[in-house]
Amino acid sequence: MATTLDLHTHSEASEDSRAPVEAYLNWIRLRHAERPLDGIVLTEHRQFNRDADYRHLEDKFGVMVLRASEVETNYGHVLVYGVNEDMLRRFDFANIRLDAQELIDEVVKMGGLAVPCHPGRPNIGLYEHYEKRPPLENVVAVEVLNGGSRKGEDERSAELVRRYGYSAVGGSDSHLVSLIGLCATRFAGAIRSVDDLVRELKSGDYEPVDFRPRRKPVPHAEAVQTR
Amino acid sequence: MKTFADVHIGDTLGPVHQFVSKDQCRKYANSAGLPAARFTDDEGARKEGLPGIILPGNMSLGLLSKLVTDWIGYDGGARMIRLSTTYRVPVQPDHTLTFQGFITHTTEAERRAEIDVWIENEEAERLVTGTATVQFDK
Repeated sequence: MATTLDLHTHSEASEDSRAPVEAYLNWIRLRHAERPLDGIVLTEHRQFNRDADYRHLEDKFGVMVLRASEVETNYGHVLVYGVNEDMLRRFDFANIRLDAQELIDEVVKMGGLAVPCHPGRPNIGLYEHYEKRPPLENVVAVEVLNGGSRKGEDERSAELVRRYGYSAVGGSDSHLVSLIGLCATRFAGAIRSVDDLVRELKSGDYEPVDFRPRRKPVPHAEAVQTR
Repeated sequence: MKTFADVHIGDTLGPVHQFVSKDQCRKYANSAGLPAARFTDDEGARKEGLPGIILPGNMSLGLLSKLVTDWIGYDGGARMIRLSTTYRVPVQPDHTLTFQGFITHTTEAERRAEIDVWIENEEAERLVTGTATVQFDK
């Protein structure tokens, strides 16, 4: 059974978001026809909320909530799936200068997977770092569709996929409730837990999906008269 | 008069399309006591690495505030009590900007509505994003 997840989301637990998880799930319920998500993965910045429990919200809205983290490395931002105590002991997720190669290798050894996100974005994306330094080893997948991308960024991410043979995922990177699920990942297999998610990410049997609305060209508006 | 009962999650504010000229940008900057080159002079702005003059952050904030207060109406009964913004991309004048919002959640006990708001350019890039809170009297 296929599963569609938004793999990159930020709730009010991240310092730059004011989106409550409950509001996200309600929005997914309301917009299910346009953005048919089975669940979301909370990837709060530089932290892992090990004690957060969203089971009552999952039951209320029928949407799965998994937890991961977005950390900062010397090759840009990286999503860490399958976070466990071993990883939290080994790495200080609040450190904004984590070594990307070490993180990618160690996270796999500890049962998870590290996925570079918005790789086409200046400064914090893999693409720009690859122009200056050797490519990372053992990267399985990168985020090719990001709901917050500017023009050209997703295209640069896609170029990395072509050049290095990475698998591709999508996520909204939402910091606002109404932006949840704009981009997501459709997995061929069933996912009901973080362990399932890591297994499926390693399998490569998935594709990024784009639910961003195609807007009509903006009409040229008249200038508002000022005194 | 708009009341809390009129508000539903998923309701939209806008979209409002508005052309903002360089002249308006300069007038705002000067009257707001922000005569920096990046807001008033293309050549000076380019020396700072910008593509030309940009809107002051407070001007974007004010335009987003207008989106919300126009939606509320001016006959009493509700007021905007908070507006916060994140400046993602510089907003350039001499473009048609789109202002839009969505009611994302409400709190029954406090009679408050939370709203996502943003400014987009012609290419649908979100330049400024934010959230607002509106308090209803009844």
